[in-house]
Amino acid sequence: MKRVLPVIAALLLLAIPLGVSNQFLLHLGITVLMWTILGLAWNLLGGYAGQVSFGHATFFGIGAYTTMILYLSFRLAPWYGMALGGVLGALFSLPIGLICFRLRGPYFSLATLAVAEIIRLVALNWESLTNGPVGLLITSLPQVTVFGAAINWERKEPFFVIVAVLALCAMLAAYLFTRSRLGSYLTAIREDEDAAEAIGIDTTRSKVTVLALSAFLTGLAGGFYGLYFRYVDPDAVFLISLSVEMVFIAVVGGLRTIAGPVVGAIFLTTIAELFRERFMVGHLIFYGLFMMLVIRFLPEGIWGRALRILTGRR
Amino acid sequence: MALLEVSGLTRDFGGLRAVSGLSFQVGAGEILGLIGPNGAGKTTVFNLITGFLRPTSGDIRLDGLRIAGLKPHAVVRCGIARTFQIVKPFPNLSVCENVALAALVRLGVRAEAEADAERALKQVGLGDKLDIPASDLTLSDQKRMEIARALATHPKLLLLDEPLAGLNPRETEDACQLVQAIRAGGVTVVLVEHVMKAIMRISHRVVVICQGEKIADGPPSEVVADPAVITAYFGKRAR
Repeated sequence: MKRVLPVIAALLLLAIPLGVSNQFLLHLGITVLMWTILGLAWNLLGGYAGQVSFGHATFFGIGAYTTMILYLSFRLAPWYGMALGGVLGALFSLPIGLICFRLRGPYFSLATLAVAEIIRLVALNWESLTNGPVGLLITSLPQVTVFGAAINWERKEPFFVIVAVLALCAMLAAYLFTRSRLGSYLTAIREDEDAAEAIGIDTTRSKVTVLALSAFLTGLAGGFYGLYFRYVDPDAVFLISLSVEMVFIAVVGGLRTIAGPVVGAIFLTTIAELFRERFMVGHLIFYGLFMMLVIRFLPEGIWGRALRILTGRR
Repeated sequence: MALLEVSGLTRDFGGLRAVSGLSFQVGAGEILGLIGPNGAGKTTVFNLITGFLRPTSGDIRLDGLRIAGLKPHAVVRCGIARTFQIVKPFPNLSVCENVALAALVRLGVRAEAEADAERALKQVGLGDKLDIPASDLTLSDQKRMEIARALATHPKLLLLDEPLAGLNPRETEDACQLVQAIRAGGVTVVLVEHVMKAIMRISHRVVVICQGEKIADGPPSEVVADPAVITAYFGKRAR
């Protein structure tokens, strides 16, 4: 039963576009799923390994730009670009990790923030590659036929299926991660880094590895962003607020849980979209209020608390 | 050949020479006490041997193999385990998980690691506290757990940094017996300690350092009578 349940949930998720044709609702679903991937990716590093990054927009932006540039310059279909975006994000994370992981705790967090700002400014000013602040635009996506029918890229359904598959893969990866030896080693590192070294764990290598995994998933989501919105500019994909939002989703949902980022993404994305309709920029007030309430009353996150009640611990 | 061979070990912190040209050996099967007044550099020596600090100069060899400058995790894999002066448990994990992690690094298989952890915990007398969160243990038990965690790496040499500090007389007595039992099990032990009565009793040999330099090296009975040691601890007039 415990094994069947996730499979059923996954199939139901993939079946949603068959039953729902409301384009706004599908857009909402797509946004939730994209943020789910980002929250999951951040949670691997920030939750399980305890390394709080404020710079994950870097990998998101690299993924998005990789997808856009490869398509616009080399006509490489965006789905391949997306995968390469993840790979490039992971590759970029290696030097970043090796530098930033020399620092611990808040100093590490600040270093990631600084790196992310550097990358944003590079993207803004390297016009020959990124087209600077004007950004990059894809006017039409390549034609694809599935079972003899051409996919209509003007509708949301195909995007929903793509991002749902990615999110499910990300959840599976996170699940496997938590059961792996690397997952255990990172738990030790989170609890006490010196003690982890003292029992023979190569802490630097473990942290760099999880950062690369996290960056891969983040880059993948960035690539999807490029594919879905068909437009990127530095302020859309490299901004600090993106990095911070990933933190929020993991924290609100529940650190160190697989379902937490899903719950966090549903709550935060829905709140943002609903209040944006009514209050324009004023929606941020409600967003902030919600954050404060969660941190004050549910410090272990919504799903974290639910899990505690469900499993009957205290 | 000695198990551990330290020669000419020096470490500077900026302008301060914390350890200066220190040389000593530890034979297999020994219990060696490393003592000295506060600030003598004892913990620095431990940190140098275990890779938490890099030596400025000098050599450290385990079984003839050069380990100076290796990272801590690599030193552990060579066969040196340690405990910390201020205990460093994995606070939110259970006692068993704490130790099983150390065994997992070595064995790679979870079930085996857990069995190994239970064995190590029984050895230190925590066999009945496997599922308690480490942070709920008393200081004495946390120190025992840290020893079990170090033993789970299957070391040849175990470095104990003030294992007796903060323990009551009863616990001190038990801890001394544990150290002797560990040695009887084939693990060589070096301990830094301030509790003189205990260290003089259980050490086979004592190395005294003062201001980073070795001032005495020999059996406990000789060392306590050494004028240099008395001066270091009590000043010149005590002689």
